[in-house]
Amino acid sequence: MAQQRTVSGELIDEATLTLEELARACAVDTDWVIERIESGLLADGSPYVASWRFTSRDLTRARRMCQLERDFEAAPELAALATDLIEQNQHLKARLRAAGLVDD
Amino acid sequence: MEFKDYYQLLGVEKTATTEEIKKAYRKLARQYHPDVSKAPDAEERMQEINEAKAVLTDPEKRLAYDQLAEQYRSGQDFQPPPDWDAGFEYSGRGFEEADFGEFSDFFANLFGQGGRSGQGRRTYQMRGEDRHAKVFIDLADAFQGASRAITLQVPEVDAQGRVVSRDHTLNVRIPRGVKEGQHIRLAGQGSPGTGGGPAGDLYLEIHFTPDARYRVEGRDVFQTVPVAPWEAALGASIETPTPSGVIKLKVPAGSQSGRRLRLKGRGIPGPEPGDLYVELEVVLPPADTDRARELYETMAHELAFDPRQRRGG
Repeated sequence: MAQQRTVSGELIDEATLTLEELARACAVDTDWVIERIESGLLADGSPYVASWRFTSRDLTRARRMCQLERDFEAAPELAALATDLIEQNQHLKARLRAAGLVDD
Repeated sequence: MEFKDYYQLLGVEKTATTEEIKKAYRKLARQYHPDVSKAPDAEERMQEINEAKAVLTDPEKRLAYDQLAEQYRSGQDFQPPPDWDAGFEYSGRGFEEADFGEFSDFFANLFGQGGRSGQGRRTYQMRGEDRHAKVFIDLADAFQGASRAITLQVPEVDAQGRVVSRDHTLNVRIPRGVKEGQHIRLAGQGSPGTGGGPAGDLYLEIHFTPDARYRVEGRDVFQTVPVAPWEAALGASIETPTPSGVIKLKVPAGSQSGRRLRLKGRGIPGPEPGDLYVELEVVLPPADTDRARELYETMAHELAFDPRQRRGG
């Protein structure tokens, strides 16, 4: 039975995510997030954990890294490297698409 | 519900070692990873192989599955027999709540709330998992806001204690000013909690349906507008469609093809609204009539114009 409801949400970035919210959204422990921030793999957080806030971009990146680590049993650094390359590739593809050079 | 042959899904023998199973999984995961695969069913395949790996790399679950699998073939109609897993005690943390949302009914029935192993474990209170979905909207929706119906499959335990999927449809208001890749959080619309715990949140990742007319970077929008040579040379006031509707645009006299005009604050709205960049593209009228040819010839004779000289060539 389909259930119909109309809901409004909040736009992430205008309301940023806390450390706990980011970890929960990625189904990981907060330690997972902290370790990757401290290793410079995720976000560019200040040294003060309490003031960390995360954007939509951080959420997408953290989820991708987490998936790569899990699927390939990859080292965090390798997952971050693959994520960097995927992000770069997406950016270049978007520019090519805008220039009418790719269709997909 | 169909019986799933996890060995067949991963393309391994029933005698495969855990390392061989992981190797086969990684090979397929590379092939079907949603970030690289163009296959339309990539996400579905990824879910299947994740599920197969989750069972076959856990020695206890693999043993229980193997006993059951002796009686079934892939695709055969399947109902787990009562007490099918009697005698097995699953140690460790078991599966996460998220697995039941992401994996199939078949999996959930064997190892989830429908199976014996799930009972007794769920007396504690726990918040439901957050869930994620992608939503495609038109660029114009980011200017005006929109409503979208999202249907998600939610696992639920029926009267017989089996796990079944239920369609859960939400009408979601997409706020004005949303950007590509931005998330909307719907509090309490994720997986239901356990033992009276609160539900998780639902995150919607927004993407724009590709539109050849526009290019978007953050809140800035770029578009090309064709103009006639005389409009570019003499200046003109022209009408042009933009994502927020038709606007009147002043083309400055002496414009060349490629000239970019910035319309401040006309990009995607927001606390810091983006700009709209209009690139002029001078389009030549075809010389396909005597009169048109005559006009071009007049220009050729009367205008002292050599485009190569201007470029220094």
